[in-house]
Amino acid sequence: MRKCSFFHGKSSRRFYFFLALAVLLLLTAALAPALAPNDPEKTHVQAMKQAPSEEFPLGTDEYGRCVLSRVLAGAPASVFGAIGLVAVSFVVGTFLGMLCGYYEGLLDEILMRLADILLAFPQMVLAIAVAGLLGGGLKNALLALGITSWTVYARLARSLTLQTKKETYVAAARFSGCGGLNLLFRHIFPNVAGPLSVTAATQIGSTMMGIAGLSFLGIGVIPPQAEWGSMISEGRSYMQLAPWVSLAPAAAVVATVVIFNCLGDAARDLAEPGAPSGGASGRRFRLSGRRERYAGRKRVGRRRA
Amino acid sequence: MVEIRNLEKTYVRKGRRIRALKGLSVSAASGETLGIVGESGSGKSTLLRQIACLEQADEGEIFIGGDEVTGKRTEDICQDVQMVFQDAVRSFNPRKRIQSALDEVLKRLCNMKGPELCGERERLIRMVGLLPELAERYPGQLSGGQCQRMAIARALAAKPKVLLCDEITSALDVSTGAQIVQLLKGLQKELGLTVLFVSHDLVLAMELCDRLLIMKDGACVETGTPQEIREAPKERYTRALLEARLFC
Repeated sequence: MRKCSFFHGKSSRRFYFFLALAVLLLLTAALAPALAPNDPEKTHVQAMKQAPSEEFPLGTDEYGRCVLSRVLAGAPASVFGAIGLVAVSFVVGTFLGMLCGYYEGLLDEILMRLADILLAFPQMVLAIAVAGLLGGGLKNALLALGITSWTVYARLARSLTLQTKKETYVAAARFSGCGGLNLLFRHIFPNVAGPLSVTAATQIGSTMMGIAGLSFLGIGVIPPQAEWGSMISEGRSYMQLAPWVSLAPAAAVVATVVIFNCLGDAARDLAEPGAPSGGASGRRFRLSGRRERYAGRKRVGRRRA
Repeated sequence: MVEIRNLEKTYVRKGRRIRALKGLSVSAASGETLGIVGESGSGKSTLLRQIACLEQADEGEIFIGGDEVTGKRTEDICQDVQMVFQDAVRSFNPRKRIQSALDEVLKRLCNMKGPELCGERERLIRMVGLLPELAERYPGQLSGGQCQRMAIARALAAKPKVLLCDEITSALDVSTGAQIVQLLKGLQKELGLTVLFVSHDLVLAMELCDRLLIMKDGACVETGTPQEIREAPKERYTRALLEARLFC
């Protein structure tokens, strides 16, 4: 019986490994209130800036609040905020990009020039300006990041749609009486969804960094609500006295971003096995190249013999 | 059944204007098989794409069954006109099973559903000489010949009056190509279809068609029955096409 490469390739194992980690992370974020050993907002005057102990596994901050409980309490805002923003950007950007690629003309010109203008600004600077105008809070931070994030999907969806609409099966679908949005979503979308989904998976990490960055600058989540970026910022001033206050949320940000980036990378390797990839997968490609050269030498050797 | 008057089509590629069709006029009677033959770049496929309304002509008129279709969309004429493409495997959506392509035609153009749709799908697949179980597969899981048969079944599902065949055997090996031509010949007689058969293979077109149209550089150089073309080709270009095939 033929083995399915999806389950038996090295990259599929990698994909499932990071998918399991991502699911674990999401479960942790969802169950954060139940998992937190202490009340994340309760202050303990007797235990301010206390080092990690049995009662406070990751220590306490300057108000004596449990850092582990706050890291867990901050997870939903960071993780679900980023996933929600990526999902909305994905839907809006993909829809607009596909419309532009399919119909072209004036709509394409207007939307793509708007995307060019938004891409001309550094995302963080624009987000700071928007968040500054609208004020603090997670919703405004997400809105500020969302203003530019849809452009990534719109541009990719447009170029993929431009390619796909020239395919023979799209012309054949017209002979089935399929046209307009029906053709776009029934025949073109399933064929462009793969690369877009992979891009979305890799964007979760950078969006999370964006949310944490805005909170770090004081224009994201409003204290006392726990959020990883604002927690890093709070602990910055007494880094030498109580480094755990900043290091714990920073570690959470790093771990989450790495998991989602690796998941996106592994998903891309699965979707496009020949695509060059960075990081761990890049090493795998180099190793496989070495193996191929070695196998080639062996073949040559055999032929000579 | 099909009438084309003074059809003009010019493409602009990298600033260069290429006249793909130069005032072409041609007609095919109901139930006739018209072969359109010429070398690559002669405008055969361009002509077919204009008839199928996949592209809009710059000038000229196209009539199908007496109705003008110039400027219409493919989805508006698909009840009367169907097309079979050169690359059969790529003419099916790679993400969907073959049966979903057949079902789409039966649902949209014949308003069928449920057991009636399943029965009709089976009948069509058997008509092109395949087993109905093959429709559960994805296009990549079928051979080129099987896919081309499925593409013919899909085209016939709409019960069209005109069938456009764009080099349907050129991507297949010789024996599979011959089987497809025989199948098409049988179906054309059985259903009384008007077939426009585009090919660069003159001898193959002679086997299948009632009348031939020889094209060169976007214009018609010669028309006639296969016998006339074989026995007394008027143009040097036609003789060259015949000799090239016989030499092979």
